[in-house]
Amino acid sequence: MTAVARLPAKAESPFQLGLVRLMENRMATASGLIAILFVLAALFAPLVAPHDPNDADLFRRLQPPVWLGGEWAFPLGCDGLGRDILSRLIYGARISILVGTLVVVIATIVGVIAGLAAGFIGGWVDRSISWLVDVLLGFPYLIFAIGLMAMMGTGFQNIVLALAYKEWVVPARIVRGETLALRELEYVEAARALGASRGHIMLREILPNILSPVAVVATVRMAHVIILEASLSFLGLGVQPPTASWGSMVADGRDFLVDAWWVSTFPGLAILALVMAINVFSQGLRDAFDPRIQE
Amino acid sequence: MRIGRLIERIAGLVPVLLGVSVIVFLMITLTPGDPVEIMLGDSRSSPEQEAALRRDMGLDRPMVERFFLFLGNAVRGEFGLSFFHRRPVIDVIGERLPATIELTLVALVLSLVIAIPLGVLAAVKKNTWFDRIGTVGSLLGVSMPGFWFGILLILLFSVKLGWLPVAGRIGFSAEVPFVTGMLLIDTLLAGRLDSFVEAARHILLPALTLALPMAAILMRVTRSSMLEVLRADYVLFAEAKGLSRARVIGRHALKNALIPTVTVAALETGSLLGGNMIVETVFGWPGLGRLVVEAIFSRNYPIVQAAVLLYAVTYVLLNFIADLLYTALNPRIKL
Amino acid sequence: MGRVGKSGLLAMMLAATVALPATGAELRVGFSQDAQTLDPANHRNRETETIIRNMCDGILTRDAKMKVVPEIAESYTQVDAKTWDFKIRSGLKTHSGAPFTAADVAFSINRLTRDNAMGGQTSPRKSLLGPVTSAEVVDGSTVRLTMSAPWAILPAMLPFQEMVSEAHVKKVGDAAVATSVDCVGPYKLVEWRRGDAIIMARDPNYYGGAADIPPVGPAKPDRVIFKIIPENASRVAALLAGEVDIINELPASALKQVEASDKAKVMAVNGTRTFFLALNMAKKPFDDVRVRKALNHAIDRKLIIDRILAGRATALNGVMSPDAFAFNDALPEYKHDAVLAKKLLAEAGHPNGIELTIDTTGAFKQTAEAIAALMARAGIRAKVQVWEGAVLSPMWANAEKRAERDVYLISWGNGALDPSDIMVPTLRTKGRGNFAGYSNAKVDALLDAAETEVDQMKRAAMYKEAQAIVNADAPWVFLWLPQDLYGVSKRLKGWQPSADSRINLHDASVD
Repeated sequence: MTAVARLPAKAESPFQLGLVRLMENRMATASGLIAILFVLAALFAPLVAPHDPNDADLFRRLQPPVWLGGEWAFPLGCDGLGRDILSRLIYGARISILVGTLVVVIATIVGVIAGLAAGFIGGWVDRSISWLVDVLLGFPYLIFAIGLMAMMGTGFQNIVLALAYKEWVVPARIVRGETLALRELEYVEAARALGASRGHIMLREILPNILSPVAVVATVRMAHVIILEASLSFLGLGVQPPTASWGSMVADGRDFLVDAWWVSTFPGLAILALVMAINVFSQGLRDAFDPRIQE
Repeated sequence: MRIGRLIERIAGLVPVLLGVSVIVFLMITLTPGDPVEIMLGDSRSSPEQEAALRRDMGLDRPMVERFFLFLGNAVRGEFGLSFFHRRPVIDVIGERLPATIELTLVALVLSLVIAIPLGVLAAVKKNTWFDRIGTVGSLLGVSMPGFWFGILLILLFSVKLGWLPVAGRIGFSAEVPFVTGMLLIDTLLAGRLDSFVEAARHILLPALTLALPMAAILMRVTRSSMLEVLRADYVLFAEAKGLSRARVIGRHALKNALIPTVTVAALETGSLLGGNMIVETVFGWPGLGRLVVEAIFSRNYPIVQAAVLLYAVTYVLLNFIADLLYTALNPRIKL
Repeated sequence: MGRVGKSGLLAMMLAATVALPATGAELRVGFSQDAQTLDPANHRNRETETIIRNMCDGILTRDAKMKVVPEIAESYTQVDAKTWDFKIRSGLKTHSGAPFTAADVAFSINRLTRDNAMGGQTSPRKSLLGPVTSAEVVDGSTVRLTMSAPWAILPAMLPFQEMVSEAHVKKVGDAAVATSVDCVGPYKLVEWRRGDAIIMARDPNYYGGAADIPPVGPAKPDRVIFKIIPENASRVAALLAGEVDIINELPASALKQVEASDKAKVMAVNGTRTFFLALNMAKKPFDDVRVRKALNHAIDRKLIIDRILAGRATALNGVMSPDAFAFNDALPEYKHDAVLAKKLLAEAGHPNGIELTIDTTGAFKQTAEAIAALMARAGIRAKVQVWEGAVLSPMWANAEKRAERDVYLISWGNGALDPSDIMVPTLRTKGRGNFAGYSNAKVDALLDAAETEVDQMKRAAMYKEAQAIVNADAPWVFLWLPQDLYGVSKRLKGWQPSADSRINLHDASVD
């Protein structure tokens, strides 16, 4: 492999090696940059967005994008209430990115703890956690989330909860499997023989070794969660109006599909672009950091 | 051996289904909203009439009693009456199920038909432009939000080009006798080729929308397992013997390379089943997913309970089938 | 597939690019919802009734101008304040050819009004027949309806009920009536593909329909198909592609598109749903009539009607539809005037405006957002919260649960076009739909008196007075009455939309 051939002479940690490999994957770095652009736009939305995303003016209703006879002030046109689509896209990025990040972070923390406990402690702890995992896997994801949203009501916090309640199962299963494999390994056995406490073994010996698969999975899942959030918003179970979210923007535009295609096309493109950037980046991440998958 | 494993799996189903029932029931209990109120809608009604309706729907009983009633009846295969249709839940679900199964199966076939040749070609032509386009295409596939892709397809093929129908399952030209409920099969059984074509035209876009992410995943799986097999000793040996490359790939490599593809396909069919309510909503497909979502919104509890149980059973069974396929196809693994 | 290979099939699919046109003998309706059941007595759903209505006639019906006329009754008379007689036609036959008599009519009414009369269940439509207690055959062809209290609007409410055959119900059982139909009506059921389509065929046994609605005779089309297409955009696309001949619930946003098409056109009729913002009068500042009036002045109804509803709605100053009985056309108008609104708010002690949240359901999200944006110009900072209907309506119907809510954007249907059917639930003290918590002793007294008043002139006067009081008290922000919009094929003849959202296909045809 060329990447290996050009490695500097001094010894490097697997993490640094991975980073070098990642940097040399042009598609992955480009995607990472795109994702970062989305994050920056979301963070600095008030500075970047040309208009107040909620400023409605019925006289601008369904105004086309600039190249179809619109005006430069509203480059991507306006929606059914005459709001600037570009500004709403920029603000909508906040919801997608925040929900994606929060859900994955919560799920990863809960999942790692549950998976470690199940895999390492075993016994009834393992049995009950595994049972809960099996039960939750029996529910179709979206139906489970829709049911929870109906139960808790709409709103930002509830979307995050509704998705996190099931999402933690994914890292939990992986961590449990990895932990089961690792606990039989020699160095863990050795640590145990040396009298290390359970907690020490879990946190110091096992945890560091499962972090890289967990991180790779977390990025893939983030892309997945963003689509799920958009789907919920599309079904009308998202954040409250007038807050813009991409999924509800697509839904809003459905009635104007034929004579104002731009209303739902641009938010759909935005979802596709962000999710694809994350997916490409995460594939680069996996190629770079997970040695087992390397060719 | 396998029979024992099957029995074990089915026994293992019991606590899972119990957990699913408890969670569904808890969710329903904690969900605000009143089916009686929805049913009555506008206009006047006296408190007595509301009470009578509540009694007819069984909503006047305490929660715990309703749970055990539900559980007891479910064991006997009885799921009560649907609130709004006022017919047995089994019937209402049974009417919608074939449409969902048909859509899922067609999507499954479609994704295999797309994924396997493309995956194999990508592996054989590794690192060429074809491989790279394939990679981008499959990433595009997994990143595409289904509800939006469906809308785009309708916009293009139905509205702009007028090639394919907008929504629903079949044209109007003929009734066909109900045999399986799956129109592609029933129309053929009835010997109605025109109706079959109509049904196929209706299912094409929704099935494609549903198949896209799965095809993308399966293509990646096929590609990487094909790459692995192509490096295996017996393939190198066969090539060394002077067999043509096409023959080696077709005869020897493909068979082995498809094991992971088929297994993943079986696993993913579960998420296909659970994920199709978006597609059903966008395309007006009269399937189970749409029914369940409508039932959640209208607080039609008996439907929600029964359908979620059905999903859970299906999911566990599909997992078992995936295991079975994996072992059956792969002689190296023993149970 | 036989000799038709894969490529052949593909070719066929692409060759059939244009959807098969509807033949003259077949009429297709793109309809927004499937029927919940085909049992006329076992639902509370307008769409279900619309479908059943093409297979099962009622005692009375309405013509296109909403006038009540006899259908399977020949004539009807009021015997006394609590008794009505209906003379049923002779020689009626159901779809299966079985005779249909006054006894079947009495059976159908009793099935609706008696407790546990439907296989142990009570019909959810019972309350639509108010105080009707029983029906009996008094001579061979006359059915007498007896009521526990005088009820002036019985004839206006009877068109909502369709009659079933006693023999059929007894034969298949109450539960199976949900899926099998044997009524007196222009079409018989051929097949119900759940969630997809309901197919009907002309019934040659049909007596011809109401004498007052010509032409009388068998239905025109051989077959009628209700194709279920819930998605608005898809329904419109199906119309424009010629897949269907009529669509209901044409979204105002698609109006231009349909009008521009060479295949289809728009048909409209004044609807029966009154839209309003209910103001929570138990909560400050909405307890102050000046604030309520300020809100009425703050909204530019004409602008919203013009821009969002494509001009297809009538602005209202009160509760009733202009087409309804006892509509008060002399109500003063709350003109759009942001300055006046600000002034009223200042007088009420809110010189810096007020804040409020508008509750609504997903279907009216856009309207609520537009209203909120307009309010901002009068110093009212309005937010919108979207809820599920299943949660919102029970919450607002309960005085304690709505205690912290502000404003509710809602509509209330009045299919009977009679004040009794909308003012009593929404404005009488403790009415089921009295979301504002409005309570005015004078209005209550007027509504109660009108309920049992037999003299229609006096009734009308009472309702008009009540409307004037409500207009002055302003428990709501009065909004508008949208037209029901239909998209129809230009080839369609003999059909017009009806205000009660029924789709009567008896005389319709496509050439």
